[in-house]
Order: sequence, then structure tokens, then C-alpha cells
Amino acid sequence: MTARKELAERIEGKLAGRSGRSLWRSLDELAREPAVLEMLHAEFPGLPDLAEARVGRRRLLELMGASFALAGLTGCGPGEAAEEATPYVTMPPGLVPGVARHVATAVSRGGYADGVLVVQQMGRPVQLEGNPDHPASLGALDPIIQAGILDLYDPDRSRTVLKAGRAASTNGMLKALVDRLPALAADGGGGLRLLTGTVTSPTLARQVAALKRRFPAMQWHRWEADGRDALRAGALLAFGRPVDTVLHLDRAKTILAIESDFLDGAPGHLHYARDFARRRRAAGEGRPEEMSRLYAIESSPTLAGARADHRFAARPDEIEATVRALAAELGAGPAAWRQDAPGWLAAVARDLSASRGAALVHAGPAQPPAVHALVHAINDALGAPGRTVTYIEPVEADPVDHGDSLKGLVDDMAAGRVDTLLILGANPVFTAPADLDFARALAKVPLSVHLGTAPDETAMLCTWHVPEAHELERWSDLRAFDGTVTIQQPQTRPLWGGWSPHELLAVLDGETRPDGHAIVRATWMERFQGKGDADRLWDDALRLGIVPDSAAAPLSASLLPALSDRLPPPPASTGGGTLTALFRPDPWLRDGRYANLGWLQELPRPFTTLTWDNALLIAPATAERLGLKNEDVVELRSAAGTLRAPVWRLAGHAPDCVTLPFGFGRKVVGRVGHDVGFDAFRLRRLDQLWQLPGVELRKTGETHRLAATQHHQMIDSPDVVRHATLDAFRRDPGFAKRKEPEHSLYPPYEYPRNAWGMAISLDACIGCNACTAACQGENNIAVVGKEEVLRNRQMHWIRIDTWYEGEAAAPDQTLFQPMTCMHCENAPCEVVCPVAATMHDADGLNVMVYNRCVGTRFCSNNCPYKVRRFNYFNYSADDNRLPMSWNPDVSVRARGVMEKCTYCVQRIRNARIAADRENRPIRDGEVKTACQQACPAEAIVFGDLNDPDSAVSRRKASPLDYGVLTDLNTRPRTTYQARLRNPNPEIREV
Amino acid sequence: MSASTETEQELARVVEPGVTALAVTAHVSGLVLERRTPLWWWVGFGLAFGLFVLFLAAVGWLFIRGVGIWGIDWPIAWGFAIGNYVWWVGMASGGTLISALFFLTRSDWRSATSRIAETMTVFCVACAGIMPVIHLGRWWYFYWLFPYPNTMALWPQFRSPLHWDFVAILVYVAGSLLFWYVGLLPDFATLRDRARRRWQRIFYGLLALGWQGSSQHWRQFRMLYGLFAALMAPLVCSIHSIVGLDFAGGLTPGWHETQFPPYFVFGAALSGFAVVLMLVIPLRRALELTGVITLRHIDVLARLMLTASLLLSYCYLIEVFMPFYRGEEREITVMTSLLTGYYAPWYWAKIVLNGLVPQLLWIRPLRLNRPLLFLVALCVVIGMWIERYVIVVGSLHRNHSESSWFVFVPTVWDWATLAGSVGLFLTGFFLALRFIPMVSMFELRDLLHKKQAGGGR
Repeated sequence: MTARKELAERIEGKLAGRSGRSLWRSLDELAREPAVLEMLHAEFPGLPDLAEARVGRRRLLELMGASFALAGLTGCGPGEAAEEATPYVTMPPGLVPGVARHVATAVSRGGYADGVLVVQQMGRPVQLEGNPDHPASLGALDPIIQAGILDLYDPDRSRTVLKAGRAASTNGMLKALVDRLPALAADGGGGLRLLTGTVTSPTLARQVAALKRRFPAMQWHRWEADGRDALRAGALLAFGRPVDTVLHLDRAKTILAIESDFLDGAPGHLHYARDFARRRRAAGEGRPEEMSRLYAIESSPTLAGARADHRFAARPDEIEATVRALAAELGAGPAAWRQDAPGWLAAVARDLSASRGAALVHAGPAQPPAVHALVHAINDALGAPGRTVTYIEPVEADPVDHGDSLKGLVDDMAAGRVDTLLILGANPVFTAPADLDFARALAKVPLSVHLGTAPDETAMLCTWHVPEAHELERWSDLRAFDGTVTIQQPQTRPLWGGWSPHELLAVLDGETRPDGHAIVRATWMERFQGKGDADRLWDDALRLGIVPDSAAAPLSASLLPALSDRLPPPPASTGGGTLTALFRPDPWLRDGRYANLGWLQELPRPFTTLTWDNALLIAPATAERLGLKNEDVVELRSAAGTLRAPVWRLAGHAPDCVTLPFGFGRKVVGRVGHDVGFDAFRLRRLDQLWQLPGVELRKTGETHRLAATQHHQMIDSPDVVRHATLDAFRRDPGFAKRKEPEHSLYPPYEYPRNAWGMAISLDACIGCNACTAACQGENNIAVVGKEEVLRNRQMHWIRIDTWYEGEAAAPDQTLFQPMTCMHCENAPCEVVCPVAATMHDADGLNVMVYNRCVGTRFCSNNCPYKVRRFNYFNYSADDNRLPMSWNPDVSVRARGVMEKCTYCVQRIRNARIAADRENRPIRDGEVKTACQQACPAEAIVFGDLNDPDSAVSRRKASPLDYGVLTDLNTRPRTTYQARLRNPNPEIREV
Repeated sequence: MSASTETEQELARVVEPGVTALAVTAHVSGLVLERRTPLWWWVGFGLAFGLFVLFLAAVGWLFIRGVGIWGIDWPIAWGFAIGNYVWWVGMASGGTLISALFFLTRSDWRSATSRIAETMTVFCVACAGIMPVIHLGRWWYFYWLFPYPNTMALWPQFRSPLHWDFVAILVYVAGSLLFWYVGLLPDFATLRDRARRRWQRIFYGLLALGWQGSSQHWRQFRMLYGLFAALMAPLVCSIHSIVGLDFAGGLTPGWHETQFPPYFVFGAALSGFAVVLMLVIPLRRALELTGVITLRHIDVLARLMLTASLLLSYCYLIEVFMPFYRGEEREITVMTSLLTGYYAPWYWAKIVLNGLVPQLLWIRPLRLNRPLLFLVALCVVIGMWIERYVIVVGSLHRNHSESSWFVFVPTVWDWATLAGSVGLFLTGFFLALRFIPMVSMFELRDLLHKKQAGGGR
């Protein structure tokens, strides 16, 4: 560094005062100086010596001509070609322009795999769908994974190597790393550290193991802000070893969810949601004895709580006390724990033990290790292991406690013991607990290399930032919640170049031109050895999207004795007056890594329906006590610091605590996520990751406008969302039916071919918003931004209406209702459009002809369901997303045009073309709408109403079937199946 | 002779004593041809033109950006533009009613005010006609509402009230313009003949279309004018009925009401008479027309306004009564919301301004107090705008789908468009004041002739 500086000073001195010819001459002299040549060589290691490159005039002209002639070829594809890629000299058989191909791979969420099928149009990935063969997906997808396609095409992604935040050369970075290797090798890699998030990749684990052989003293640190440390610690307490718990909700009759994320965030939640919903739908499908019963106790509302038959809001300390009491009640703890148990607990305990072997207790990651250990003990007492839960070896490679691991790293960095730090795909500067002050420690590391898909907070503070190849651009492998392995295969060449973590690690291992494909393949060739034709197994694994039979084998873990003695003491009660802040991940942005994805920013959060902001969530009663209204900005004071945040009252939130969703407030991020919301990480401390007791709220008198999409959530008319208890349903199976209005004077339409229709089961819907996100991706729905959402101009074609019944402060029930175009038989929109832009088609769809629409908006006014959306501005053109990211099957709408759900008419047409070519009718299930496909709970069924045996016709034959607002004689084609509850008669309504 | 009988007599006169046909013609044509443009005209025109420029700016920005610049949202997809449209077209009815309906009834007080009223109609209709077009998301395709033969063999949706509305407003614009122009023909000829300057002779000569005043011309003129009047009088009812159907044809609670067509006709008449009063009261002084626009005219218009207000108040009562009578839950929700909810101030403003304030006109001295009458008319004009605003947004904000309930908040561009349209109207009207005789000279000659023949009334 100093040599460079000296050189620069010398050059400046030589050039000072010169101009014109003498300046040029001295430049020439300078260029021949050995010091300058050395510097050039260091800067551009790939550059051949000028002296060696003797090129004659004739040769130069030849080269110029050739490069001019071949210049066009660079347009053939981005950047460096993957080694295996071959252009279509002869087009592969079956590849038809306009016909999509599906390629299996996986996308990670918190390190765990969700299997996807990438929809490709002419080799271009356009959409993600769930892989039905993958256990974590079963064909469904959550909004985060779906937004992966937007992430791939994010124009704000990293495109170049950065050195201290400025563009630099890849070679420079490589040289810096490679130059460090001899020094590292000399001391066994004592100063070499690796920091990643949760890693399940066998290849990465293999590479790290190999590195450790080369550098025995190196250390691998892990930090996942939205991690599952508590589960691991709980297992250690209970079993003395870390295990992962796999739930079997299909076998669970009675479930207790302790602020559980089994429906919204846990690895495998899509699988769990499907199993759960199937048992919930059972009663409506004629098997009432199979219907499960769900209890929930939680502080901050979860989707599981919303679906619970009995939901109890409680402060975190009350939760732990309750779990202890339950353990005692079930004989898994000392009787002393039973004191001050809530009144309902005995009934719940009786119910759980009554369904011994079919009972299940699950706690979420924000619960302390003691709760998790107790949950294991309770499950054991209920006979759950082997039946409703199985234990497997942890899926995470080389599992460690992330908090300790990160602390160890920061301590070493601060002490100057780290000289080379590789951060692979993590953003600790933003996500690490504030008390560690990661950024300051990082400044002491001489060489830090950050690999990430976007320039983020950490990228700016590391010496080098390397663009990371997106998961859809690279070779890798991942494991799902149950251990199943998917080999990730690139779906496109890296759009902006980019390195995979495997490649970067290989550089440390001495490879100068690492090949991600070879690295991943090597792992599997080794593992497939002796299992048959390894090449064939590899191909099969790629094709299927899973490595067959790679799920982890169940293991039997036995409880260590005297659990009660080993548990940390219960937390002191925080009740009465003081507030506890709860840190919870934003449901879509998680630890902030998805902040630049417009789909997720604008996707309404469950319950609050907030978009483009996080808010301090507070129980209405507590807010009342403190005199807080929605959108009031408060200053939150705590031992960990202060924070300003807008308030949102959330029905069902536990009193005396507030939830601070983290993941917002990113500082170094792309254009979409910049300056959105507040950063709750600033108050997070390592020893208080999930809750911070003793906070105070002070009203600032300011307000901050929050963009919610639903402004009225208390049910006024009970007819829209119909529900009953299982007992009431048994007494009166037709409770959801109403008198149908008389038929119209107009003759009915006739549908000789198909009559498409949809059924949505409220019994199944868990309110996860996957349908909304899927629809947005499939149908090219524009993102409009916060200002527009504040004007209520969001464009989602399907929305999840959230309803509360009972008191606003403590609602008896939370109900979700997906609302989209009903494709009415007597559509009110059709008659009022003066230009006939919205019409009935031959299959009964209510179609919208964008090109004909002049934008009177009468159709929207006349739609009783209010499912039509209008392009008030040229939203699609104003969006900065890459043009290649739109779905080519669906028109992108322009300004001034109305749009709405089409029942995914493009999918119907594709199926129609396929069926016509084969001269057969469209098969049931052949057309799946995007919302139906994404729904993990199978709440949405679509098909032909002409076919009495179709899945949708069978659903509609249910006694629970009803239409919304049918008294207007709209005769909707989308109908709902009413929701049933299965309350415990022993428990009075709270 | 007591004072009251004096007033009685004064109120019976449609022309002040001593006014002669020749004097009227000389005065009215002189206003256009010879009088120096007065200062008040320049001031008024300047203000009007300023607002008109605002209108151009608002519409220009609208064309560049889209209707999103307004406060319309989801679920309230209609806002000011539709309210403004109904407001303007309603006020336009005043001129048509006076010149067509009262022509058919042969009311003698009509002659002196018909030109002012009709001119007002023409410019109101211009403002009204623009609103539904700029309201469109893609205004440049507005002609798709018209059933013209096209290569796509596409017709409009004939069942849509908006299509009926498009046809109705088109007919009304054409009818009003022609009616106005035909009625102007003999006066244009008079101006041509009295013109001293060359441009005036050419200008009015072209406009007069070769009118010679022959008995043949008069015969055909009378026939045409009578036909127009017979056409326009029912048309003014039909257009407002159809405007009412724009809403009643939808199923939104609060709109889906059978009483809407007459309700809108009454509302239109009320605002029409009010705006005629607002013009006549200052103009009879400014143009020195007190001799031909007498207290009787003022009195008649005031009483008509009161009548219309009573009719409209009846509709207001029915509007409140029916949802509760029918027991229709969603309509009750809308009504309760109007009475007590977010839009309650607007709702009650409309009741006070349109229903209660005009009740002052039961009292004759108040009726004849011109400044007060002007204020009452102003209240009604504002009240009628509020009524349309409440109808448009009030119902939509409590629609069938509770989860979509939201409010409409106008933006600065909403207000600019509204104020700008007033500028458009006033600019047109001020230009007409300068170039068009504001009293029908030939009709007054006719009237005076009849009066003389009949020995006065």
C-alpha cells in the first residue's frame, strides 16, 4: 500500500508543471520504469508483457479486422459461458418457441431447500413453480421462493467486483486472495475465517472440510439472524445432542402450537400446511372424526394461531410458565410447576393425553431453549416420537450455535486474530446483534471478501465484494427440512457474471479457474459410488429435482433424565405496566435479504395487511392504555437503545408486549428497498435475541402513514365469511346454504365444451398469501409503490381478506378469505361496460379485453366483490424490472386499462391447444391456476363444472359450499366452502 | 295606491313602461356593436381566462400522466370528473327549460331571459361534455362508445347506461348548440344590418346565413324553432333521466334506486334555475337591461327555484326513507354512513344548501332582494355540486364488499380541474357577452308588438 502511494507521489512529481509535448514524453518515460511496470502487472495480472506481444503492422490490421468481424458474437450471451453450455446449432427435439419447459432445481430459504420447477421459455427462466416430487414443496410455493425469479432479474444486483465499495477487477480480488494463501498455509490458517448463513449444502460442507485439512486452524462461523438456535439448544437440553424434529401433521389429531411457525416459516412449512389442511378439510368431506383440533398460545399472532380452535394470547413469560405447567400436568415435570396455570390448561392437557400417539406440540424459533426442551419432554409423554414427530440428524451441516459462533468471530476480529475473512452470502453488518458491533470489528480485518448477489451493508465495509451467482445461475446442492437433497442446476448463464460460493472456496483451495459444476458433481460422483451408474444417478437427480432416498433416516433420541434440574430458571414475570419488545422476522423480508423485491414489499402482511413498511405491533388494549393510535410514531426506549417506529394496533396481540418486525430499514440496498421501514436489529442483543424486556414507549406527536390494503376488518355482515363449529355442522349440515334468488329473465348461457369454475375452501386456507404472490408472478401484475397503495391502488388480482369476529381487542376468531374475480354467470361488470371490453366467453369465463378497454371504470364500481384493478398510471412501464422478467404468456397492461383475475386463461388456452392436438377433452386437473398451484393447503380447486366428477364439482357438492353475495343474483362461478371449527367443549369461549 | 299593489303591478310587468321595440334593438345591438368594452368585462374575462389556463394545465398534466393524478382509488373509481359532469349538465338544463319548455307554454317572461339562459346552457354543456371524456383511462379512444361501423365489426354494449349516456349527451350537445344558433339567426341579421365596421358586417353576415327577414324565412324559422323547442323540452328530461340511470343502472347500494331519473331531473332544474338567476341578477344591471328584465323575471325564476327545491327535497326524503322501508341491509349501511359517517358533513351540507336555504324564498321581500337571491342561488349551485359528489363517492365507499371500504381524498388536480372548468365556462360566457346579443331582439320586438296590440297585460 505504501509502495503504491510512494509511486503515485513520484509520478505526480515527475509530471508536475509539464504540459503539451513534454507531458506526453514524460508519460512515455514513466511507462518504461520498472516500478510502474510492476504496478501494472499487479493491477492486471492477465495482461501479457508488452515486450512479448510483438505485433507487426500487418498482423495488427488482421487482428483488428477479425475482432471487428467477430464483435457481433459477444451479443450471443452474457459474460463467460458455462463450460457445458452448447448453442442450439440443431434445436433439441421438442423445443417449441412459446411452449414452456420445466426444469427442476431448488431455491433456499434460510438455508433449507424448497424444490422448484423453473418454467423456461426458450431457455429463459420466467417463473418458479413448486416441484410436486419435492417433500418441502409438494408442488406449492411460498411468496418468498416465488419472488426468487424477480431476485434473479433484479436490476440492482451486483455486477462487478468492488474494492472498498468501488468497482475493481476480478483479477485483483483473485490476486489478493491467492497472495494470502502462502501466509495462511504457514500458520495453518489461524487467521482464516469463513462466515456463512445456515448451510445445508453437502458440497459446501465437503469443501470446508477439505479446506480444514489444508488450513487446520481455520474456523467456520455461522450466523442466521432469523435462525433456529433455540430449537437446537432445546434439543441439546432434552436429548444431549442436536436433532431436527420433523412433524407429521397428517397423523396429528390434537395439536398445541406455541407461537409456532409450522404454517409460515419453519423449514417444511408447505408440507406441514398441506398435511394440516387435509385434516381440517376432512369434516367437510364427510370424515368429521378425522378433523384435528389445534390449540395455540402465542404473544405475536401467527398463522397457526389464526387457524387455532382455541387461541390464547400470552406474554412470553406466561407462555413458558404455561408450558411448564402443561409438562407437569402430563407428568413430564415436577408438580410445583402447576401453580398459577391458566384455567384452560387442564382441559387442553386432558385433550392431548386423550389423543396419545396422535398428539403433537410444537414451538416456534422465538421461544427459549427451555420451552423447546419441555416440548420434547411433553411430546415424549404424549407418545409423539415415531408417530407425530420424528427426530433426524440435523440437516444443517456441522451445526453450531449461531450466536456463540458469531460472537467468537467478532471477538477474534476485534482482537486482531482474523486476517482473512470470507463472508459467503451473509450480511452480518446489517443482521448481527447490535451489541456485537460487527462493523467495527470488521474494520480490523485486513482482508475481507464478501460474496453476495447485491451490494449490501457488508459489501461496502469489506475490502472486497464479489458478485454472487444467483441460485438460479449456479451449480450447488441443498437439503430440505427432512434431509432430502436437491442438486441445484443453473437455469441461465449468470446474467452479470458472478461466482458461486463453491467457486470462491475453491480459490482458497488453490484452484485459479474453479468450475462450480465440477465441484458439485465431484461431491455426488463420490456419493453415488457403488450405488450403480453414477452418471445416470446424477442425471436422474437433476431431472427429478431430488436425490432419491436422500431423506434423513429417523433416529431415536431418548430424553436425558432430570430435565427439570437442567432447565434455566424461568424468566421473571414481566406483567403489569412494563412492556416487552419482541423481535420477529418480517414474514416476507425475513432478515432483510429480500428487501429489494417489490413483490414482497407490496405483498400485504398477514393480519395487518401492511405493505412497504414495518410497524410496531401492539395489542389494542395496550395501545388504548398508552393512548396510541395507528400511525402514531413512538420513541421506544430501552436498555439497548432507542428507536422510532410507527404504531399499528394488531387484534389478538398479547397485552404488555410489542412486536418489532425486523428485516426493514436497510441502508445499502437497491432502489426498491431503500429507506423502507425502521431497523429493529439496532435494538437486538445477542443475549436477548427474541425479546427485550423493560421498554418504554413515548409518543412523539408525529405520524407516519402506513399503507394497509384492508381498512375494515371487523365482520359486520356474517354472510360473506360463513363458519360454524363442528357440532353445529353436524346438527345442521346445510348451515352455509341460503335461499337462492330467482333466475334471471334472460336465457342462460350454454356451455357445450367446458364451464370453468373454482372452489375455495375456507377450511383449508391458512392465509399465507402464496396465491397472491403466485398470481402476481404469473399474470405480470405491476408493483405500484407505497404512495399508490396509500391511495388504495394496489393491483393484486387475488387478495386475502382477513376478518376478525368478536371483540377488536381479543377476537374470537380470525378468518381468511381469498377474494378474486368470481366469474359471475350474470356478471354486473359486463352489462355496464359501454365498449363491451369485458365479456362472457364460450367456457363461462368473464374475460377482460385489455385492447378494447377505454377505462370508464364502471365495471369496477359495479363489481360487488371489488376485484377489478385499474392502471391509474403506467405502472408496468414505470417499474424498473428487466423486460425479460415478464411472463411472455400474459399481456403487460398499459395505463388506463382495467384488469382482473382471468382464471389464468393463458393456462387454459395452452391446455386447450394440447388437448386439441391430441383430439381429446381437457383432463381434470390439467389446468391449474397459478393460485391453486401455489397454495400449500390445497384450498383452491379449479376445473370443469360440466364434468360432475371433476375435483371442483366434487368440492362444490359439499354441503359447506356457498357463494358470496348470491342474493344479487350474480351466480358466481367461484364458490367457497365454509370454515369449520373444532372447539373443545370443555373450554368456555374466552 | 298602496305600496303592495304597486309591487303587485311591478311584478306583473314583463317590460317596463316606455320601452319600445326600436329602443330595445338599438340598445342590445349597441352593446355588441358599438359600446366600448367596459372595465368589468376585462376584469371578469381576465379572471375567467386565468382559470381557463389552469384547466388547460390540469388537463395537460392529466393527458401526460393519466387519471392517477386524481384522488380516485379502489373502490372509489369515480370521483370529481363524474360529479362535475353531472353538475354541469344539470346546470345546462336551466337554459333549455326556459327557452324550450316555456316557449311551448308561451310564457311571456321567457323572451328577455332566454338568450342569457341558452348561452349559459351552451357553455355548461361544453364543460359537461369534456368531463366524461377526460375521465376515461384512455380518453383518446372515447369514440369507441359511438356505434360506428368498423373493421373489427365491434359494437358498443347497448345495455350499458354509459352508452346511453354517451348518446344522450351527444344529442343534447348538438341540440343545444343548434337551438341556440337557430334562435340567434334573426338577431345576427340585425347585427349585420346595423354593423358599421367591416369585420362586423362580414362576421355577422356569415353567421346570419343570408337571413333576409322575408315572410318565407320567418315561416320556416318559426316552424324549425317550434320543432326544436318540442324536441329539446323532452330531451332535457331524458338526458337527466339517463344521467340518473348511469348510477341507477349499477347495483351499488345507494345508486340502485328507481327514483334516480326524476331525482336527477329535479336536481338539474334546481341548479339550472339557480345559475340563470346568478347570471341574470348582475347582468340586468351591467348590460342596463332593467327595462326588459324586470322584477317579474326575477320573481318567476325564484319561484321556479323554490319549486325545484321542494321537488328535490321530496327525493331526499324518499332517499332516506326507502332503505329503511325496504329493510335492505346494505342500503341502510350506505345511508347510515351518509348520515353519520365520513361524508356526513358533505351530506348535511347538501341538505342545508339545496333543501333548507331555498325555503327563504317563500317570503316575497326576500325573493325580491337581489343580493340575497344571488346568495341563495350560489348556495344552491354549490349545494348541487356537493350532492353529486356525495352520490358518486358516498355510495362507492360503502359498497357490497366490506373489505374494500375506503375513502376518497381529492388531490390538488381534482380541485384544479373543477375550478378550471368554471374558468372554461366563464371564458366562453364572457366572450359571448362581448359578441352575441344577450337579449333576443326579435322576440322582444314581437312581445312588445303583442303587448301594444293587447294594450299591455
